[in-house]
Amino acid sequence: MRGLETAEAVAELRHELRTPLNLIIGYCEMLLEDATDPGVRNGLEQALTAGRDLLERINGAVPPSRSEISGEEIAGLYDSLREPQGRILEATSALLSVANGDQQFERDVRRIRSSAERLLTIEVSQDTGAVRAVLTAEHPTRETAAEAGPSITAHLLVVDDVEDNRAVLERRLRRQGHTVEAASGGLAALERLGKEKFDLVLLDVLMPDLDGLAVLERMKADPGLRDIPVIMISALDDVASVVRCIERGAEDHLTKPFDPVLLRARISACLEKKQLRDAELEYLEQVGKVIQAATAVEAGSYDSGTLGEVGQRGDELGRLARVFDGMAAQVRARENRLREQVEALRLAIEEAKHKTRADTPRDMALPSGELFAGRYEILEEVGRGGMGMVYRAIDRDLGEQVAVKTLRPELVRDPAQIERFKSEIRLTRHITDRHVVRTHDFGERDGICYLTMEYVEGITVRELIDTRGKLGIAPTLAIATQLAQSLVAAHGKGVIHRDIKPQNLLLDKDGGLKVMDFGIARLAGGSNGLTEVGMTIGTPDYMSPEQMLGETVTEGSDLYSVGVVMFECLTGRLPFVANSAMALIAKSLREPPPDPAGLNPEIPAPVAALVLRLLAKSPDERPAGAPDLERLLSELA
Amino acid sequence: MPKILLVEDNEMNRDMLSRRLQRKGFEVEMAVDGKQGVEMALTGKYDLILMDMSLPEIDGWEATRRVREADQTRAIPIIALTAHAMSGDREKAMAAGCNDYDTKPVELERLLAKIAALLPQ
Repeated sequence: MRGLETAEAVAELRHELRTPLNLIIGYCEMLLEDATDPGVRNGLEQALTAGRDLLERINGAVPPSRSEISGEEIAGLYDSLREPQGRILEATSALLSVANGDQQFERDVRRIRSSAERLLTIEVSQDTGAVRAVLTAEHPTRETAAEAGPSITAHLLVVDDVEDNRAVLERRLRRQGHTVEAASGGLAALERLGKEKFDLVLLDVLMPDLDGLAVLERMKADPGLRDIPVIMISALDDVASVVRCIERGAEDHLTKPFDPVLLRARISACLEKKQLRDAELEYLEQVGKVIQAATAVEAGSYDSGTLGEVGQRGDELGRLARVFDGMAAQVRARENRLREQVEALRLAIEEAKHKTRADTPRDMALPSGELFAGRYEILEEVGRGGMGMVYRAIDRDLGEQVAVKTLRPELVRDPAQIERFKSEIRLTRHITDRHVVRTHDFGERDGICYLTMEYVEGITVRELIDTRGKLGIAPTLAIATQLAQSLVAAHGKGVIHRDIKPQNLLLDKDGGLKVMDFGIARLAGGSNGLTEVGMTIGTPDYMSPEQMLGETVTEGSDLYSVGVVMFECLTGRLPFVANSAMALIAKSLREPPPDPAGLNPEIPAPVAALVLRLLAKSPDERPAGAPDLERLLSELA
Repeated sequence: MPKILLVEDNEMNRDMLSRRLQRKGFEVEMAVDGKQGVEMALTGKYDLILMDMSLPEIDGWEATRRVREADQTRAIPIIALTAHAMSGDREKAMAAGCNDYDTKPVELERLLAKIAALLPQ
């Protein structure tokens, strides 16, 4: 090897030798920061130690102070580098074998390895004395690297007006395994493209008839050609002309004369990208079909088997499509079941309505026709309870029918209570579910606090049970399922109802159920509604044991109340009956509920079992949450 | 989060150093040659520049001079990085307007200490 005689040349050698070490040491240190596996740590530490050895030897042989170095010295240095280099190669082989598909790790280890390999290929040119990495015989030369190895082959179109250029390019590309057609100008190229399908176009920029940029523009404007990647070729390499090409949609830009390695790499990259894009487009199209199917399920128009083609894919999307198809079929069956149940409920409601029409109370606190709070024109009283009165009214501001609920003054006495109530209302307003009565507003007028709500024309489950007695299995399940759905929405927003009871469950004429008064039981002060005032609101008939005891009220407490409602719907009576509230509480806390199937032999065993599970004393033994209850209900045949 | 501009032509060096700095909580943007480095320095708001000295297009020395000439970038601290480690490199870097100088292979702790010393508190 030739020696080096100037300080600059020695510095260059030092630079060339130290650059790979920067990478070896840097990557090793970085990977060690993350490595936990002892084998991996060991391998990285070996490579790091070897890297530091290499650095020490290089620094010793070529210190910054040197201004010349002989060929023998360089050869001696290289000899001394072989051993630590070998250790790095060995360590990285071991590391690659345990990479386990971690692509980032594998890539980093390969970089350590290629840096180590590069070290001893650094040579001093015999002719010029220039120092550079030269790939030796063990490594592929640039020309063979350009032509070796399998990579994507494709059908290419070369467009260049200079015949020699075309010929060279064609030959080279054919040797790389592609099939190649050539065109001698822009117009000829467009004609070709119109007739034949190409995977990639290599397009000269400067051509006499129609230049490359114009061809590119026409291709990008043509939906049939738009997706064919184009690599521009040009002798111009200034940034502005490259930018022009890229801006007009070229995939890449190559400067003449071509570096064969670069040409191959760019073409491969381009084709790879195209393949990925094609696969992605196909994937997206099939994802689109799944989404369409989901929309169809929502609209109730999905036909099982629509996803047949997507379902045949071997990948995750195929699996998704198959699972989806199966689920859609189940959902449909469940919906049909629920529809039948609701229909049975609707018939029951119609019958009940005939019986209740006659006896609406007369002594209204707000007379009909009165304009309440300057905004609500009272039409009629539609209900009354422990909390206050409910009126049907017209909201003069909006011209809409609303329900106005006035609250008994003793329920909202101090400002703190009003504040708490308001915040509860704010929470409640976030629930948007077709099974929840929308709360509009909360206000105070002349010492009367009131709520305005969506007005629902219909009757309560209370009225239904009072007029009909027990409701039968299908109507009960229709009520329970819709109730569970409302709780899924409310609990999802962090709102617990606290006072689920038939009086709060409204049924419209089609059997649709809407739940009223979410969170309003809080108003009763204390957490259980059993304070002095609370006691007057109602009975603890539907209240969970933990609520009675003043313990933390959870989603599970609402589920208990659903259990009581279902029990009552199915049997026409409550699970616990006593002469006084205190006796009732004592009973509900101590005694197990009776088996509903014992009271009504028509109740199927799984339905009775679910009701008993809901009535478990401990919340832990009830279904895990509203979604769980919804699922359990849907599974009941 | 301090924002660093790393000007480095070697792809692997860029990858390695940027990732190591990001792990230490820096936001790192990269330029692949001196010209791009100067352009980015003028438009991005950087707290510090790490400048490799042997760069294509415009080398690090020249890029540093240009960054120092422009009013909006004059005050950005620059640390020169070089693998040459010739005696005199340090003086040359300082003369070109770098605030500090470090050699490759990078010793991360040492480099971090130099970065910390130059960042505004």
